[in-house]
Amino acid sequence: MNLDGRKYVILVFFILVGAIYLIRLFFMQVVDDSWKLRAQEIAEKRKEITPPRGIVFDRHDKKVVTNRSYYNLMMKEEDIHDFDTVAFAKLVGWTKQEVKDRFYQIKKGEGRYFNKNINKYQDNYQPQRAYPFIKELTIDEITRIAPHLERFPGFYEDLTSMRSYPYSGGANIFGYLNEVTKEELEEDAFYRRGDQIGRAGIERYYEKELRGQKGIKYVVTSALNNAIESYAGGKYDTLAEQGPALHLGLDIQLQVYGEKLMQNKRGCIVAIEPKTGEILALVSAPSFDPNILVGRRNIGKNYPKLLLDEGKPLYPRPLAAEYPPGSIFKLLQSLIGLQEKVITPESGFPCTKSMVGCHNHPNANNLPDGIKNSCNPYFYYVMRRIIQQGKKRSIFADAEIGLNIWYDYIMSFGLGSEFETDVTGMRSGLIPNSAYYDKWYGHNTWAFSTIRSISIGQGEVKVTPLQMANIAAIIANRGWYYTPHFVRSIGNKGPLPQFKKIHRTKVDAVHYEPVIEGMRRAVYEPGGTAKKAQVEGMIVCGKTGTAQNPHGEDHSVFIAFAPMENPKIAIAVFIENAGFGGVWAAPTASLMMEKYVHRKVKDKAKEQMIVNANLLNMKARPKKKKP
Amino acid sequence: MRREDSLTQHVDWWLLSIVIIMLGMGIANVYSAAYDPDHPNIFDFSQKYGKQIMWVGISIFLGFLVFLIDSDIYRKFAVPIYLFCFSLLIVVLFTPPINGARAWLGIGSMGIQPAEFMKIGTAIALSRYVSTVNVKNQNVQTVFIALAIVMVPMILILLQPDAGTFVVFTSFFFVMYREGITFDPLVLKVVNLIPGVRFKDTWVGSHFIPILFYVVFLSIVTLLMSGNKYEFTFMQGVLIPGFYGVITVITVIALVAYLILRWVSSKREQRRVLLVIITGWLLSVAVSTTVNFSFSSLAQHQKDRIELVLGLRKDDDGKDYNRNRAMAAVGSGGLFGKGYKKASVASVRSNHVPESETDFIFCPLAEEWGFMGSLVIVFLFMGMLFRIIVIAERQRSTFNRVYAYCVAMIVFYHFAVNIGMNIGLAPVIGIPLPFFSYGGSSLMSFSMLLFILLKLDSQRRDVLF
Repeated sequence: MNLDGRKYVILVFFILVGAIYLIRLFFMQVVDDSWKLRAQEIAEKRKEITPPRGIVFDRHDKKVVTNRSYYNLMMKEEDIHDFDTVAFAKLVGWTKQEVKDRFYQIKKGEGRYFNKNINKYQDNYQPQRAYPFIKELTIDEITRIAPHLERFPGFYEDLTSMRSYPYSGGANIFGYLNEVTKEELEEDAFYRRGDQIGRAGIERYYEKELRGQKGIKYVVTSALNNAIESYAGGKYDTLAEQGPALHLGLDIQLQVYGEKLMQNKRGCIVAIEPKTGEILALVSAPSFDPNILVGRRNIGKNYPKLLLDEGKPLYPRPLAAEYPPGSIFKLLQSLIGLQEKVITPESGFPCTKSMVGCHNHPNANNLPDGIKNSCNPYFYYVMRRIIQQGKKRSIFADAEIGLNIWYDYIMSFGLGSEFETDVTGMRSGLIPNSAYYDKWYGHNTWAFSTIRSISIGQGEVKVTPLQMANIAAIIANRGWYYTPHFVRSIGNKGPLPQFKKIHRTKVDAVHYEPVIEGMRRAVYEPGGTAKKAQVEGMIVCGKTGTAQNPHGEDHSVFIAFAPMENPKIAIAVFIENAGFGGVWAAPTASLMMEKYVHRKVKDKAKEQMIVNANLLNMKARPKKKKP
Repeated sequence: MRREDSLTQHVDWWLLSIVIIMLGMGIANVYSAAYDPDHPNIFDFSQKYGKQIMWVGISIFLGFLVFLIDSDIYRKFAVPIYLFCFSLLIVVLFTPPINGARAWLGIGSMGIQPAEFMKIGTAIALSRYVSTVNVKNQNVQTVFIALAIVMVPMILILLQPDAGTFVVFTSFFFVMYREGITFDPLVLKVVNLIPGVRFKDTWVGSHFIPILFYVVFLSIVTLLMSGNKYEFTFMQGVLIPGFYGVITVITVIALVAYLILRWVSSKREQRRVLLVIITGWLLSVAVSTTVNFSFSSLAQHQKDRIELVLGLRKDDDGKDYNRNRAMAAVGSGGLFGKGYKKASVASVRSNHVPESETDFIFCPLAEEWGFMGSLVIVFLFMGMLFRIIVIAERQRSTFNRVYAYCVAMIVFYHFAVNIGMNIGLAPVIGIPLPFFSYGGSSLMSFSMLLFILLKLDSQRRDVLF
């Protein structure tokens, strides 16, 4: 037996195993990436840091939407082991007994909920769920505690940031935040479960800006899922970036003042700076304190209440309530008539009351007086001249041409379509054209007499309060406007590009002067419909209106701008069921204008009268003639 | 012809260097794996790295003592050394179990594992015994004693239980193979019982190691096929359990082999062919049955391990947790690794790989140094093994050569099983990686094993026979 050969058997065996191992190691470590991925899965965690949302400022750089951030010291019982009560108590500055009590309190209290089905409180404490052990720690406190938390597995810090509204106003403008839905999670990879998303208003429209950039931190975690250290010394980490601040054209003090004036009323106030199209105030009454919709628990408690409230506080009245504009429409008919040269400022029409009703006033011998008196027959004649220009022999064909000319003019005032702007929940209103009536009555079956009620802003015409305010702004500007909008600057980058585009109406600037004179006379001259709109120290131009309401008392409408030269504010006030526009809407608008231009209101009696008025339960009175 | 030379004369510097390098790397590696930022000092004896340095110091001191003592003592006192280790092995069975095994003598972390030292005792005793055996004139008794020297400690170790060390003891069979200790007398005893059969030697007996491989192979096949989970559809819907399938296959192969061999062989050889076939068949069936039976009688966790190693089950976060984490750690190392003290999976602090400072010490090493580190480790061990074989083959005395082969095989087993389980090629059996794993017993026993070899080698010229 040759045993010497057997040493080679052993050597070959060694070499074989060594070679197989090296090949295997080469494949595992160099060729195959799956183990690297597995290792990442096991030991590296990607932590996302959500920055606080962007802050919102008003036009005077007052913080109107801000964040309140605080840390919660979270506790997850499942992960707690080897808990040193004494050391922990020392760390958080409590006594040992207090720590023990807090554990007991969480177990017996935090998870408890009221079970409606059995009318009893039930324990719902779960060890695998995280509970805030200490709530609302300041940054100083948490920086002292956090570095030592590694010694206490099961405890970790959690930054919480919530919205806060220092002025308690503008809820309908700002919107609110809520947790993302499952659909939103799937749609946008930005969001993680439990993230907040803007639900309405500016929060929703500027969601992408306000949410900022998430920071990403790669950490090495232990088998107990505790972060041990940052991965690769933080080489791949990115910092969280807070969203840019939004600067609004809003005047928060004016807004709050408007909400105060509108208490116990339904309706809205829209104020616009004519020069820029910036919305100064957008009051929707009844209003509510935006702070009641902060946080999951508050939303759960208050949102259903708001939703079911018969005053519909969540309904964006200034944007979505479509009403016949009433007499304020006469301003537009005047402008179109002048531009179409079917009337002159000196045109006079008798108050005949045969075709449309009117109130008692002297005949208007010129356009400004027509406006001052808000004479219905006057504008019936104006409108008839616009519609029936005699271009075709058939009155039907003639009316079709006339209406479409009128329609083009009206559309240039931003009516009948939605503004491309940064509010949500807007509606377009309705301006009928020939196609509309053709559909309704049939082609060549209608003429001016059929559609005459639109001449005084009744009938098919529907306009939103925001559009009404914009009409005031256009007249104040003598023929042009910027799309009404909230945000004048995102960070320091200026507004969205569409807000820098000027819109010009099809009516030349010269034709505005007689109309403005009419509006002045309406406020200041005897027989004017809006004398309650006077403001000391400046000339107010305004026009009352009454929107017909088949369900009850008519709605009170008033649009105005001031001062007459170099206007600073254009306003529309719309009060539901308040009757004639001059009674409630005009004084309300005057207070708003005074507040904005003079920063304080001198006429305290008027203020008190409006603030104290309760117009919620106005009963329908016998119909009067529409002024 | 004893010479009064310096102690270090004729020392094999190659092997000694490899051992020293490994000890140094071992400390650095344990320091990295078990690093605690609160105790950054490597000499902090409250930490594992501090203790490891202490153990290395003790080991080197033991090695120094070994060098002071004349190497002849091991041959002369082989039996007392063996019996001393053996008695420790018995004593340890009466200690309270730690982690479910009675493997530790002493207090807490300062304890020693007698099983580790039994390896030295067995190596010396086996060497002593084999050196007295005339290979050309073996009988049942010689084989039996050789087997007993190895297998009696194995039984005691299994009683602890310590599956890892038990497996390591099978390495001595390779040594027997190398030295020509055969199963043949035992096999002949059995075979010659058959009337009319009278063999002088059998192929089976003299090549029991290759046959052992066949047995292992067959065992794996049986395990893969057996168990109620794997049933074959045989002849139109007749289900036969996997195990009987294996038996059937063995039988069919045996029949086919017999027919072929009968056809090719002459008439004179036919009886012998029949005998070989029958023996082979019986052996195969016996192995298969034994494996099947012992598998079903194994504890559940051992079953799970076997099933996982064989790839019969995927359970990354459950039963296969250790191996999966270990492989992730090794695999994530890449070509150049993540850098010293940068292991994210295998560090003791992250604790993803359990026992990453002892049995899974290769993980932090491979993760931090990448394939380059792995290459160095494999080459170091290969170099060590080659050098031991070289040393073994240049010995004049049989005792020295057998002992060297024992050392080579023990180191190889530890290397193969330990690294194998880190890369998913061997079952997860808790045995340390020599000179790298944290732990006093392993370090001391391996150091003594190697230093005794170095001493024997340095005095190889003194031996006359």
